[in-house]
Amino acid sequence: MNDVSDAPVVPGTEAVVGARWTRAGARAKVRGETRYVADFPVGSSCAHVALHRSTRPHALIKSVDVAEAAALDGVITVVTGPDLHAILGDRMFTGPAFTDQPPLAVDKVRYVGEPVAAVLAHDLATARAAVDLIYVDYEDLEPVYDVEAALVPTAFVHDELRPSAIFGDLGHLRGRSGTNVCYEYNLRHGDPDAVVPDSAATVTGSFWCPPVHHVPIELPCTVASVEGDRLEILSTTQTPSYVRQMAADLLDLPLGQVRVRTAPLGGGFGSKMYDRLEPLAAALAWTQRMNVKLAISREEAFLLTMRHGVGVTSSMTADADGNILASRADVVYDTGAYADVGPRIAGKSGMVSVGPYRMESASVRSRCIYTNKPSAGPFRGFGVPQVNWSHESLVDELARTRGEDPALFRRRNLLREGDEAYMGTRMHSADFVGCLDAVTEAIDWASPLDRGDVRWRRGRGVAVAMKAVLTPTVSNAVLQLNQDGSASLMISTVDMGQGSDTIMPQIVAQVLCLDEGRVRVVQADTDVTPYDSITAGSRSTYHTGNAVRGAAERMHDRLLDLAALRTGASREDLKLTSAGVVNTTTQHSVSISELVHGHFGARGTTLTTEANFTTTWDPYDKETGRSSKVTEHWFAGAVAVQLLVDRRTGRVRIEHLAVAGDVGRAINPTLVEQQLSGAAIMGLGHALYDELVFDQGQMTNATLLDYQVLSAMDLPEKLTPIIVESPHRTGPFGAKGVGETGLIAVAAAVANAVRDAVGVRITRLPLSPERVMDAMDEAGVV
Amino acid sequence: MRQVELTVNGRRHQVQVADDELLLDVLREKIGTTSVREGCGVGACGACTVLVEGRSVSSCLARAVRFEGLDIQTADGLPEDDPVVSAFVDCGAMQCGYCIPGFVLMTHELLDENPSPDHEEVKAHFEGNLCRCGTYPQIFDAVSKAAHERCTS
Repeated sequence: MNDVSDAPVVPGTEAVVGARWTRAGARAKVRGETRYVADFPVGSSCAHVALHRSTRPHALIKSVDVAEAAALDGVITVVTGPDLHAILGDRMFTGPAFTDQPPLAVDKVRYVGEPVAAVLAHDLATARAAVDLIYVDYEDLEPVYDVEAALVPTAFVHDELRPSAIFGDLGHLRGRSGTNVCYEYNLRHGDPDAVVPDSAATVTGSFWCPPVHHVPIELPCTVASVEGDRLEILSTTQTPSYVRQMAADLLDLPLGQVRVRTAPLGGGFGSKMYDRLEPLAAALAWTQRMNVKLAISREEAFLLTMRHGVGVTSSMTADADGNILASRADVVYDTGAYADVGPRIAGKSGMVSVGPYRMESASVRSRCIYTNKPSAGPFRGFGVPQVNWSHESLVDELARTRGEDPALFRRRNLLREGDEAYMGTRMHSADFVGCLDAVTEAIDWASPLDRGDVRWRRGRGVAVAMKAVLTPTVSNAVLQLNQDGSASLMISTVDMGQGSDTIMPQIVAQVLCLDEGRVRVVQADTDVTPYDSITAGSRSTYHTGNAVRGAAERMHDRLLDLAALRTGASREDLKLTSAGVVNTTTQHSVSISELVHGHFGARGTTLTTEANFTTTWDPYDKETGRSSKVTEHWFAGAVAVQLLVDRRTGRVRIEHLAVAGDVGRAINPTLVEQQLSGAAIMGLGHALYDELVFDQGQMTNATLLDYQVLSAMDLPEKLTPIIVESPHRTGPFGAKGVGETGLIAVAAAVANAVRDAVGVRITRLPLSPERVMDAMDEAGVV
Repeated sequence: MRQVELTVNGRRHQVQVADDELLLDVLREKIGTTSVREGCGVGACGACTVLVEGRSVSSCLARAVRFEGLDIQTADGLPEDDPVVSAFVDCGAMQCGYCIPGFVLMTHELLDENPSPDHEEVKAHFEGNLCRCGTYPQIFDAVSKAAHERCTS
């Protein structure tokens, strides 16, 4: 393993990487002065938009009567799907994987709540009132409520699919028809059909994770405006560069005529990516030639996207010595009515559905399946938490079947540095063992356990997390050094609470020896900030961080060049320090301010450098699904919990939750710990509370009164975030991201602890009191 | 529509308000106070919290016309050296920051009623405020720090 000290850290500087800098803009956030997208005034000429939504899960639209709505005082116009199609044609269908989603339904609706018509009015109250005056005549089609129904080929959510051509890793998608399966990934390693010895132990299971919602507290909001031949979009998006390309394609405009801006996001978690409100806002603004604001309610936000409901049927076999021989998983991702990025999720996350273990053979089938539900998309963990729920429950049972300690069994079988994993890619900077050891030690795993009393039963559980990072991707950074020694960093990474506006400046400051507060990140604006694939999948620290570091190193070299030119000194004698460029022979120094001023002969001038960081992959082998490089790097984590189960009510009380993540190198340990603990808290919600409930395609709990989000009342009594650092040889200063790592293994760790406490294996999330009670009653727990 | 006078952070504002207009919308759109935010519209998340005569109110459920003559406090109107604000900053009690002004105002209400709350009292007081980033541990730290500093100052 490379030591991080191999990285060319500028000598003689204070260690900025690894320092606990205060979060950028902290006081403004606490005082409420930070401006989010909905806080920007839009002016009185802006039309406010409300949506008439489908009441049917699957139906042909026979007619839409908008006359009464259009006649309402204050309404500017009403727009339907066919209205947009008449102008935009099939360009109105967008999506990151398949161009399957219209901003307003054309011909047919595919889920309850799908937008059918948009009312544009002078104020939002009027627009919302007019929505109820729209009448739609439907002809019902056979609904496809779930993945089981979807696999019986009698009704199809889409008649035909056309792949998009936006992302490199999805270039292998093909058009499809006559099926609800939009993507299937298969992995075959070794001989999964090999006969296993009689002495081997095999466990099987069938697991289900329901759809859940992200619920960032900030609601989605998009403003689109037209200025001459330009379209401007201000939106709550994690993907400004994607939105720019989407809008350019949608409206057949050159990229230069589309500007996309963001503000800090009030949480994202994957819900504010790709095609949300932006296609409709862009289409309405451009076709109606007016400024529009789409600000939706919480109830509507629930319909905009969700986490995939996932079923996994799986098995795992170990030999007599306790080594895993084989692991199988058959995974179904319910992607709802529109694929969104479901195919990528089914591939990339289905791939690791057999767990972070050494094994002789592996077999995976992972399918992404359409149903008549709202579209499912990315959610912190990108489909991995749902398959982790399967493999970490199963491996626990396998250990117990063998009569072995579940932590020790995992420890023996976990992948190690340098191993070629079953999917064909080597492991590096993925310290599963270190994470497992850290969390088990934190909860004192080896100590004798007081099993509690008749009512409160105590147990411990552990689970390990493994995730790949999206590959290939592209990041860019432009660094502008101002004559006074401050700097502006132009990147299209969006800070939504993860802390990129703090750690990217730390990377610059480390290289250029700048003080805290001297580097500011420019808010993503595609007129100014360069292309970046997405702010998601925990990719920014490594990828954008590498671009930022590259730009800073070029600036470092540029400053030394200027100093050499100015002083006539040899470049080798010069060193950049916090006092400026120092001649190590004469000890003479010149400040950045003097250098830049001297170079241009004016105050207020700027020096600019840029850098790109692009990753490559080895596409899946067509026969085996394997790849020698399926990911640029790995995320490794572990969770251990000690909890009490109330035999009388089924309630679970977490006494201690320890969460560890291998982050390579923590650029800012405070923010890393906060990401780990925050993700674990969200994961605990998924373990115990979160669930979107559907009745005949209708989401029935889409309000925050009905959908339970974990609150201050539900926290573990003790929560321990632990940073594990196994530096990555090509990470910036060894670093990798951390946004998802802490969430992935929580649900399985909790379920494993419940199993330990009361002896029941629950295979369906969440572990609600009713479900735990039912399981205990069924198992005859006294 | 009728003319009402609302007192926000000690300043008086004359605004035209419809009978059914929400305090949240009037604060944001007619007075320009964007530290007060919609998160759920049903009084379940606390992002729209204001203090009225020192007591917390969900402004997404409150009709603006009822608040004439009452003192409305929002987070952006707190003094620069407010000890609760400083405690939140010092403890890193923010991630995305969207919900935090609500927690800050709830902390003021709590400490005014109960200068040294125990952990269970703090948790119970925040039951109606959601932080989806999961910043609760740092928020608890900030409440303890603010309580300590109020006691010693």
